[in-house]
Amino acid sequence: MSLFNWLKSSILSKVVMALTGVLLVAFVCGHTLGNMLIYLGKEEFNAYAQFLQSLGEILWLIRITLFLALILHIIAAIRVKFLNMASKPVKYQVRRYVKAKLTSRTMLWTGSMVLAFLAYHLLHFTIGVTNPKDFHVYEYYAPHNAYGVLPSGAIAKINEPNSKITQNLLDQFESQASKQVMKRHDVYKMVVLGFKNPWISLCYFIGVILLGFHLNHAIQSMFQTLGINHPKYDKCLRNFSPVLSTIIVICMISIPINILLGLTGGAL
Amino acid sequence: MKLTLHIWRQKSARDKGKFEEHLVDDVSPDMSFLEMLDVLNESLIHQGKEPFAYDHDCREGICGACSLTINGTPHGPEAATTTCQLHMRKFKNGDSIFIEPFRARAFPIIKDLVVDRSAFDRIIQVGGFISVGTNQPQDANALPVSKLKAELAMDAAACIGCGACAAACPNGASMLFVAAKVSQFALLPQGQPERKKRVVAMVEQMEKEGFGGCTNFYECEAVCPKQVSVRFIAMMNRDFLGATLTKE
Amino acid sequence: MNLDSKVPSGNIKEKWDKHRFEMKLINPANKRKYKIIVVGTGLAGASATASFGELGYQVETFTYNDSARRAHSIAAQGGINAAKNYPNDADSIWRLFYDTVKGGDFRSREANVYRLAQVSNNIIDQCVGQGVPFAREYGGLLDNRSFGGAQVSRTFYARGQTGQQLLLGAYSALMRQVGAKTVTLHTRKEMMDIVIINGQCRGIITRDLITGKIESHTADAVCLATGGYGNVFFLSTNAQACNVTATYRAYKKGAVFANPCYTQIHPTCIPVSGDHQSKLTLMSESLRNDGRIWVPKNKDDKRPPNQIPEEERDYYLERKYPSFGNLSPRDISSRAAKEVCDDGRGVSSTGYGVYLDFADAINRLGKNVIEERYGNLFEMYERIIGEDPYKTPMMIYPASHYTMGGLWVDYNLMSTIPGLHVLGEANFSDHGANRLGASALMQGLADGYFVIPYTIGHYLASNKFEKVSADHVEFRKAESDTNDKINKMISINGKKTPTQFHRELGKVMWEFVGMGRNEAGLKKALEKIPPIREEFWQNLTVTGEPGDFNIVLEKALRVADFLEFAEVLVWDALERDESCGAHFREEHQYPDGEAMRDDGKFCHVAAWEYQGVGNKPTRHIEPLEFHDVHLAVRSYK
Repeated sequence: MSLFNWLKSSILSKVVMALTGVLLVAFVCGHTLGNMLIYLGKEEFNAYAQFLQSLGEILWLIRITLFLALILHIIAAIRVKFLNMASKPVKYQVRRYVKAKLTSRTMLWTGSMVLAFLAYHLLHFTIGVTNPKDFHVYEYYAPHNAYGVLPSGAIAKINEPNSKITQNLLDQFESQASKQVMKRHDVYKMVVLGFKNPWISLCYFIGVILLGFHLNHAIQSMFQTLGINHPKYDKCLRNFSPVLSTIIVICMISIPINILLGLTGGAL
Repeated sequence: MKLTLHIWRQKSARDKGKFEEHLVDDVSPDMSFLEMLDVLNESLIHQGKEPFAYDHDCREGICGACSLTINGTPHGPEAATTTCQLHMRKFKNGDSIFIEPFRARAFPIIKDLVVDRSAFDRIIQVGGFISVGTNQPQDANALPVSKLKAELAMDAAACIGCGACAAACPNGASMLFVAAKVSQFALLPQGQPERKKRVVAMVEQMEKEGFGGCTNFYECEAVCPKQVSVRFIAMMNRDFLGATLTKE
Repeated sequence: MNLDSKVPSGNIKEKWDKHRFEMKLINPANKRKYKIIVVGTGLAGASATASFGELGYQVETFTYNDSARRAHSIAAQGGINAAKNYPNDADSIWRLFYDTVKGGDFRSREANVYRLAQVSNNIIDQCVGQGVPFAREYGGLLDNRSFGGAQVSRTFYARGQTGQQLLLGAYSALMRQVGAKTVTLHTRKEMMDIVIINGQCRGIITRDLITGKIESHTADAVCLATGGYGNVFFLSTNAQACNVTATYRAYKKGAVFANPCYTQIHPTCIPVSGDHQSKLTLMSESLRNDGRIWVPKNKDDKRPPNQIPEEERDYYLERKYPSFGNLSPRDISSRAAKEVCDDGRGVSSTGYGVYLDFADAINRLGKNVIEERYGNLFEMYERIIGEDPYKTPMMIYPASHYTMGGLWVDYNLMSTIPGLHVLGEANFSDHGANRLGASALMQGLADGYFVIPYTIGHYLASNKFEKVSADHVEFRKAESDTNDKINKMISINGKKTPTQFHRELGKVMWEFVGMGRNEAGLKKALEKIPPIREEFWQNLTVTGEPGDFNIVLEKALRVADFLEFAEVLVWDALERDESCGAHFREEHQYPDGEAMRDDGKFCHVAAWEYQGVGNKPTRHIEPLEFHDVHLAVRSYK
């Protein structure tokens, strides 16, 4: 059996789409949860970002897996679309849908737009191409085991929430403490600076809502395609889809809203 | 009541079809939709014109012969109802009604509103049966079947093979039809020996016939005159995946 | 003509076993040298075809529908009888046999009926094996219900769709053989004629309904499983395409037609609403298990049913037939309904309807149980009438439903033309003058699965067949006869449509040859039918081309045969000067309105031989002997 035999079967194509979808949805959920750390403050948020970066090879493994999942997801989608266009060569002149919703009929469009949004998002926040000025922001910090090496004033500073080690302080004890003081990407600042721009916020707004549309159909579709159902739990499974996608959308778009309203990141 | 009908006219499979407009008055609300068409056809014959060809037979919603896409919905606006059981009281005086044949690549048009649905027969031929010859079975009560499963199997077996699922599906997919048959047998002990072979063969034939793939619009379930549930599609997907991964 | 029934000698219980042993066999390797044609893919046709295919014969099967699954067997609702005695209520093969003979008012052939009862149990096993989802109890075993004309619960059912499920079972067996290439399936082809060569039926002529092509098909034996002729009444519960053409053409070629006057009127159909009506919809008789039938006691009581108090209702079936009550046989229930309506106590807008009330059953069992048993029927009623039968009683009225008469066949199901076999409703054999509920499915499958596969082998093994091809002069002649007939129809260019003629014929038939018949009325029918037929051949209009998908021509061909056949039916009704079962001659009744048989004069099968259009056919007789069930007045009191 060749590696791409599944492409011949519409059901197996859909299974591939569903399985890769599981990974992508899991990623979106994790991403959402991670993003929520922004409400715990800059220290936690940046620490989380730094933790992810520190994974090194594992991070790359996850990235590659997700990338492959995305590619397979797209291949399967295109495959199914071509098959389906061929199966309905003549359209009805008048059409009234009963159960097919806008979300289910526009999966290819929402999917493509989410893909475009994803590309922009990566360029914006992961690679830093679109807004390099906002992207290249850093902060200095001392690891927790740096106590005692630092001057007393600095310790006090470190123990405070949202502590920052300024260049000035750093200069004071550079010779003795330089090994304990580190520089990291100030993701918090990057996000806040980014979303302060209402155009960028709008862009995210639209992107996330399209993602929500896509997920609204996709999640229950995933269960259906993989055959996960039972009369007792069917309703539950079907409702799970709009509930989860709504939660994701609300969480995600709350960040630009809060930042625009100045509720988050106002102090910087 | 008076109605304006826009009916698809197509001389043969090769011809290009078009809508023909006809005004009908004196439509009684107690008429069935097909009786309304009968009246129109009778008047066309009187005028020396050819009547519209459409498939129908039992006129009690069970043979599955009648089709028609009425105002954009196969079997018309009333849920769980075949065209022959649709009554004119569901329409209003002055309504415009568009009548088209069932459309899907696997259902080529024969004439006017008549389509060729023999693809369904060919799908059944490759596995829509239990291989038991005449006089071979054991006593009917030798294999108990849980009431729940028997009822579920009956829900699936209620399919009348009308093809509305494929006609309604924007992808021209006939998953509901195939799933109903696959699930009926998958739910019964008699169907177990051939379970894997059956699902693979029927799905492969379905694709060979030119039916599309399921993208879970659930439009099929919505128009199914027997309300066969898309749950059976999920069951079939599971069976198909399992069978593909494990079949000999 | 000597109608030899070929019933084997010996004890009735052993006849079939003995006969099966005595019949000649064809060795398995030789079976494929024989070709059999089966016309019709209903229960009888599909089951026979599948069984032939399994045995190894070459089989070709024909249906005028677009798929074998559309045959009208699919519309049977209530169930199928079998003498399994699962409910332990003292049922037995003998009791099913007895009930069927009695239900048929002692006008059926004992040996055939006994065989039917004998194989009834195999049918249930067969169908369960095929995956037919019969209703079950919580323990997982099969459920039974009771049905008209029986005091035991012997009816197996699959909701209200038993016919559908059984047909799909037979269809799946047939499709399996088509897939295995033992059977060739021809859809959308209608039989136009049979072809007889050297006294044997050797093939058929068909018309392709898409291209209009007239084709010849040769075979060593032909089976007609083409159903009944209930549409001779125009309005009936039959499907639109059901017709008498196949059996009538065989009759014209020399097969005798037995008991055409035995036409059953089903008591529980939805009443007529207007002139546009194209068919009458049957509501399963099983409804009578839980529904109570009544009309107001007083004439012109126009109150809504719920406002008529209990004491002003006449539960006439329970009153007149206390032990069978609402489950009295079909003919009795139908006539009782006609009686109360003729008495001016009928309901519905036309005055031709009676109530079938579920209020008591809903109170006793709960709405859920009723919904589980009859849900789909209730929905169907609501769709057609627009009233909710859970709240308002249903209205029902009798309608033409099933025809017990058909081509005469012997014990081997062969007609008077050697090689031409007739199965299911198309033959006359098992139901006598009246068919009991849930017995049609039983007979169709018995014929197809368990009788014809053996008897056709005997026929093939006992006869020699010269090689014939479709170029044979007889085929050429039959083809050109068919073409001539079609060309004639096209060339008339008259003013009336086939449906108009059909409706006219139906009105005459329903009025004079319907539920109640009498000499004067029947004679009037004989006067009224020929002018309609003559006008048909002068004033018919058929649009379109013969070589095309032509629905008008299709219909015209069928109506032409009904117009000739109707007269045979009337002749039979006129000559059978007695009442029996569904054939009710008003001159012959007991003071309480029961059918009065005349066993001295009419204890026989009347089979009619064609003598030319418009001429009175010749009446032949097969005497009926009752050794095991004693002739008695059929009483359901």
